[in-house]
Amino acid sequence: MISERQRLISVRVQTDSDMTAELELELPARAENIAIVRHAFGALGDVYDVGEQTLSDIRLAVTEACTNVVVHAYPDSEEGPLEVHAKLSGRNLTVIVRDHGKGITPRADSPGLGLGLPLIASLADTVRLGHNEQGHTEVQMGFSLDDRLNGRAGATL
Amino acid sequence: MNGESSPEQAEANRAVLRVDAGPLAAPLLGRVVAMMLARADCPVDRLDDAMLLCDAIAAHAPDHASDGRMQFVVSTDAEGLELRVGALAAQGARQLVEAAVLPGVGNVLEPIADELRIESDANGEEELVLELSFGRAGDQSDAQPA
Repeated sequence: MISERQRLISVRVQTDSDMTAELELELPARAENIAIVRHAFGALGDVYDVGEQTLSDIRLAVTEACTNVVVHAYPDSEEGPLEVHAKLSGRNLTVIVRDHGKGITPRADSPGLGLGLPLIASLADTVRLGHNEQGHTEVQMGFSLDDRLNGRAGATL
Repeated sequence: MNGESSPEQAEANRAVLRVDAGPLAAPLLGRVVAMMLARADCPVDRLDDAMLLCDAIAAHAPDHASDGRMQFVVSTDAEGLELRVGALAAQGARQLVEAAVLPGVGNVLEPIADELRIESDANGEEELVLELSFGRAGDQSDAQPA
């Protein structure tokens, strides 16, 4: 069936001038769904000319932001949405991870080490924490898809 | 899709994916559906069927998108998968089904999906709904060879 399936669909790598795309993914904010978001972002590498290290950085930063939503946004076993919005324009990718809960607030009983946001800041070129017009908490991350030989400059929170 | 859940059964899950009707739609849909089916303990033969469905849908659905954007709603539970494909132009859902044909194989969607239906809204936009059962009820693997 492989050859038949290949007739159905062919994915070609897009050139820079083709590189505009927008996607939204909404899932229940559960731990198992973080892996779905992470895996979905691998599709960027299927279609666009994105370096392996750059793609790895993007996926790790998005994973951390999604983990923050799962861990911090909905306490007391309340379940809410995890929303991810990505927009590619030329060689620039903007990813917004959004929740409808409490967002990222300090917790005395936090199960994590508190490394999530610093890690995101070191992986992304820009990071912005804030709220959208509906008051939902957002983490906005900007990435250049150009590989950097000497690593990423990192963002300042 | 209405089965009772038990602690051993996979929890129901639902993803909404919106993407431009372009080259990113196919790999995104395939990746999201594959991960959700894996989490739902989908049998491997049905996983392969589902991937074929996704490939066929992703290959042809963008041609029938009503506004250049696609919305895929993927729902899974312990019993199966439901995939809603929209928003399609008037008559687009039927044309999408008819386009999913392989030489020598025929239509891909109708034989694989356990249920296939078209839903329309007041604006004339359509949604193609496909259901795929995991086939655990009366599971054939339980049958012992003679």
